[in-house]
Amino acid sequence: MDCERIEELLSSLLEGELSGSEKSLVERHLATCQACSSLYSALQETREALLGFPEVEVSESLISKLTAIPEKKKKFSFSLDFVLKPSLQPVFATAAIFLTILSFYLFNPDKKYIDRTIDQKIHLGYSQVEKLYAKAGSWTDRLADYKDNVLASLKNWKIFGGKKDEIKS
Amino acid sequence: MLVNAYSKRVFNMAYQFAGSYEEAEDLTQDIFLKLYHSLPKYDFGKNFSAWLLTLAKNHLIDSYRKTKWEKVNRDDFDEHFFIAENADGPEAALAKKASRKMVWKSLNHLSSDIRMALILRDIQDKSYEEIAEITNLPIGTVKSRISRGRVQLAKILQEKKEGSDGL
Repeated sequence: MDCERIEELLSSLLEGELSGSEKSLVERHLATCQACSSLYSALQETREALLGFPEVEVSESLISKLTAIPEKKKKFSFSLDFVLKPSLQPVFATAAIFLTILSFYLFNPDKKYIDRTIDQKIHLGYSQVEKLYAKAGSWTDRLADYKDNVLASLKNWKIFGGKKDEIKS
Repeated sequence: MLVNAYSKRVFNMAYQFAGSYEEAEDLTQDIFLKLYHSLPKYDFGKNFSAWLLTLAKNHLIDSYRKTKWEKVNRDDFDEHFFIAENADGPEAALAKKASRKMVWKSLNHLSSDIRMALILRDIQDKSYEEIAEITNLPIGTVKSRISRGRVQLAKILQEKKEGSDGL
């Protein structure tokens, strides 16, 4: 048996997995071959070193980070549930319409024209309100005149001590 | 609770594979995130522990392939974790410590698949059947990887010892 084949069997020898005949064959080779014997010693030393590594304790900070992971997920799913509530659908629909209109306005190439139009409309509305306010003012004046006339005519009536044809000022 | 039951096992696997405490903490968090995402896919007929370790093994090897940690040195294994060994005398204890240090540092010279198989067998003391289940490989392949890994590590140890003797 050559050294290459022996090398393949050394790991099994280490674990006691070789059959009787294989074991005696390998052991005979090791007794005569210095290189394989030295490799087997190094193999034993390596395995002993690996088996000796103890389990390391996990730090408290890592434990708290790991326990926080499901909480994060829970909070995330809760917020999603909240968003998906049917009662909020009209709000989202309104918001969607508003955002669509806003996006049309913000990204329109004729934004200046729209601004001007909106400005004109606002001014038009404002002047109409002013006119309405002026009309209302003239109506109050006319009502006051009517009131004065009615009062003057009542004072001229006989039952209130006046002469019908005489105008009292 | 999953964290209490499995964090130590997953963290140690990551630490032994990556060789860096900080890296192992990050990897453990990634593995637990993946675990929570994958839990709905878990088949209750399967061994949970083996399923989790398979997930951890896949993540560790994938991350290794992406970042190529083999270029990064491994941290020194914290000697505080070892119980003082003076039964064979102080010289033997020192020699053991030196070879342990060399073996730990040399683990990153092995390919990721071989390193993982060797860690599962020789550090975590798992049976070949368990390793075959975790790695989804036939037992013959697992045995061959472990054998190759041990021989490679032994040769590295021999070279390092010869190098230190020559100085």
